[in-house]
Amino acid sequence: MRVTFFVLFLLFSSLFTVILVAYAQETPEVSERGKEVYEESCAHCHGIEGRGDGSAAENLLPRPRDFTGGVYKIRSTESGQLPTDQDLFDIITNGMPGSSMPEWESALSANDRWELVAYVKTFYSGFQELEETETTPRLINLTGKVKYSEKSVEIGKVLYTDLGCIECHGNVGRGDGTSAPTLVDVWDFRTWPANLTQGWTFRGGSSTEDIFKRFIGGIAGSPMPAFEGDTFYHFGLTPEESKNFALLEKKVENEEELTEEEQEEYDKLYEKWDTTVLAALDRAEGTELTPEAQKIYDNAMKDVFEKSWHLANYVKSLSPERRPKSAIGKNVLRSQYKEGDLPTLDDAEWGTLTSSYYPLVGQVIVESRQFNPTIDSVNVKSFYNDTEVAFLFTWDDRTNNTTVEETEDFGTSYIDGLAIQFPVKVPKGPTDEKPYFLWGGKKPVYLWQWMASEPESIKELTAKGINNAEEQEDQGTVQVNSEYKDGQYRLWVKRALKTEDKKDLQIEPTVFVPIAFSAWDGANGDVDTKRGISSWYTFVLEPVPSSRRFIYPPIVALLSLGLLVGLRQFVQRRNT
Amino acid sequence: MKIKMFTAFLVLLACGLGLIVLADNHEEEENNKLVFPKAYTTMKVSDGGKITGVVKFEGEVPKMKKLDINKDKVVCGKTDKYDESVVVGESMELKNTIVYLMDITKGKDFDAKANKPEIDQEGCKFTPHVQIVPVGVRLTMLNNAPITHNVHIFLNDADMGQDINKQQNRMLKKLRIKSIAEAGGPVEVKCDIHSWMKAWIAYVPHPYFAVTDEKGEFTLEDVPPGTYKLGYWHEACGTNNKEPQAVTVTAGGEVKQDFTLKLAE
Repeated sequence: MRVTFFVLFLLFSSLFTVILVAYAQETPEVSERGKEVYEESCAHCHGIEGRGDGSAAENLLPRPRDFTGGVYKIRSTESGQLPTDQDLFDIITNGMPGSSMPEWESALSANDRWELVAYVKTFYSGFQELEETETTPRLINLTGKVKYSEKSVEIGKVLYTDLGCIECHGNVGRGDGTSAPTLVDVWDFRTWPANLTQGWTFRGGSSTEDIFKRFIGGIAGSPMPAFEGDTFYHFGLTPEESKNFALLEKKVENEEELTEEEQEEYDKLYEKWDTTVLAALDRAEGTELTPEAQKIYDNAMKDVFEKSWHLANYVKSLSPERRPKSAIGKNVLRSQYKEGDLPTLDDAEWGTLTSSYYPLVGQVIVESRQFNPTIDSVNVKSFYNDTEVAFLFTWDDRTNNTTVEETEDFGTSYIDGLAIQFPVKVPKGPTDEKPYFLWGGKKPVYLWQWMASEPESIKELTAKGINNAEEQEDQGTVQVNSEYKDGQYRLWVKRALKTEDKKDLQIEPTVFVPIAFSAWDGANGDVDTKRGISSWYTFVLEPVPSSRRFIYPPIVALLSLGLLVGLRQFVQRRNT
Repeated sequence: MKIKMFTAFLVLLACGLGLIVLADNHEEEENNKLVFPKAYTTMKVSDGGKITGVVKFEGEVPKMKKLDINKDKVVCGKTDKYDESVVVGESMELKNTIVYLMDITKGKDFDAKANKPEIDQEGCKFTPHVQIVPVGVRLTMLNNAPITHNVHIFLNDADMGQDINKQQNRMLKKLRIKSIAEAGGPVEVKCDIHSWMKAWIAYVPHPYFAVTDEKGEFTLEDVPPGTYKLGYWHEACGTNNKEPQAVTVTAGGEVKQDFTLKLAE
């Protein structure tokens, strides 16, 4: 009996094995090394099975990529195509700026990164199908690049509006378009359009080619559409033909009678436009084009590519080439002396200064934390005179939140704000200890707290910790003015250099004063401790320029020269 | 002893079956999709019958949520708009339900109208809310207002390949969308620019699909005589994929088959 049972058991276990083997065969051969590296370096975020559900995934936004759907944002391939191996390799190598994906160039050998590419591809069967059918993803044609020029930028700017980039990326590209607050990705997470004035935050790089590729191919998984040939107005018609055709179309629309000639022209242009669109559709559907159709398509695409390069040049023009250097060393904020009245918010005189750049990071030390800050930085300029100092703070925020609101899809939205932090007592030198950078500790800090709900007032606070701030009883006269426009706040603050209040900072020329920032983007859920912060920086009131600088240096130079000559003569005399 | 062995056999068998069921974890997903025949061939249907019916809703009717028209208000906000996921008439008639034949393998071809599917974006709303698109046929998106939309079709959700996402700028009155070779869906179509705009597209291999109107009515015509599985799909009420309705169509006859749907759990 036992034996029969055993045999039966064997039979079933073999069946079991067969089933398992059958399932196992569905997954292609994996690269052992790739698996090893993946599980050690990638799985924490992307998950063991590549579903983007690793243990760290929850706090990340954008979320780590789920590899099982074959959706890849950053590609050099056309819309609807998978990325190339090189695309995957490049993302692993360079990381994705503005997301939690780091660069792996310094941590993994090139060989390991290639092994990873092979392993990551096993998570999605589409890659295998490509291999089986010996097809390669269709690359975006990068030839015919239009050189950067002011003229090209001008043409691109018009396209930016016409094509509707403005809807999400906003008037001047700060990602503050009217659709920006409602965007979600295909995984149903909130997503923000790129701030095109901050090229260093572009996930797939900010070279003109990178911008061109994102535009033509779209960003799969995000709301960013692909701008394919037939999404251009009158695809296939020359600008002149398009103009004529538009006039005729208008007539047809208004049910005006066309002359025989006009009708002929209309039919001809319609036919040309239609044929080109059909070629584009055939191509997108995977139908091989006839040589004739291919020629029509290629010809029409020349114009589309040219326009796209203009657009890429325009977008490129919106951002500095690199992320600005932070306000330390040479770039320290130096408040400039000015005789008489200090400039107000809209004074053109601010344009004569270059701003100092203070990068922000999410506050992740104290609950509740901000792991995904949306405010990149605060930029500051300053003037002072004999009695007062004025600051101009600017920072980008895609939305102007002036009230607390319950939103249906994105939870509570809070009020935007900025806090500028100084020590109450200025440290005596570089070695003298500063208060704790996070709103002070034993040593208190002096704060200016501004909220978008009261754009023309500011509160003076004293704080001994991030949760231990109080409004000063004696609210001195700090003058404030502010403006929100095109995705940017500008906040102007003016105060006397000296005050009677012992809890205030007293400012003196030439003394280096620590300064730090906290910024709240209400739409991003920032409130209380959840915010963007900076560490301590310093600023200084640049010494009053005086006429003495024209007297002393020449005297010193003359004296030095005299001394040198004297020394030479002394040496010569001793030698003889 | 024999009994014991038999029990052991049963236990092992149950385990084996359980394993197979577990392995097939796609089933849950498939319940939200349409069911298609493996192959379909067209023929002339001259003695076909008709299937008609009314789809009604059962249960507490969810209040149609007023949509927040938060941009392009001048054009898009001219009229109030409501979430169309459950549209119920006065006598509980349910609009936007797809009623179709699941297992028909031979029948008529698509007619001219079916071969020209359109979705209009007038007033920043997709009309119709549920559109049937034959496989291999291109959908046309209409836009008569000077408003920029993007047409985002979520094919990947239904394992139908990469999503389509094309900008239809304010100057493009018509935008044709590439055809899909394989049947599938329904898949969602959205406009990211106007986040309230949502609709459904079903890519189908044969013409025996109907979408219920305001009166909850549907009609399937020219059905070759025979017995078929009649299926339905509704975005909020789900499908009857697990228990399709059998209908028998006779030459020239008319079969009535009503459905009563509840919100899916």
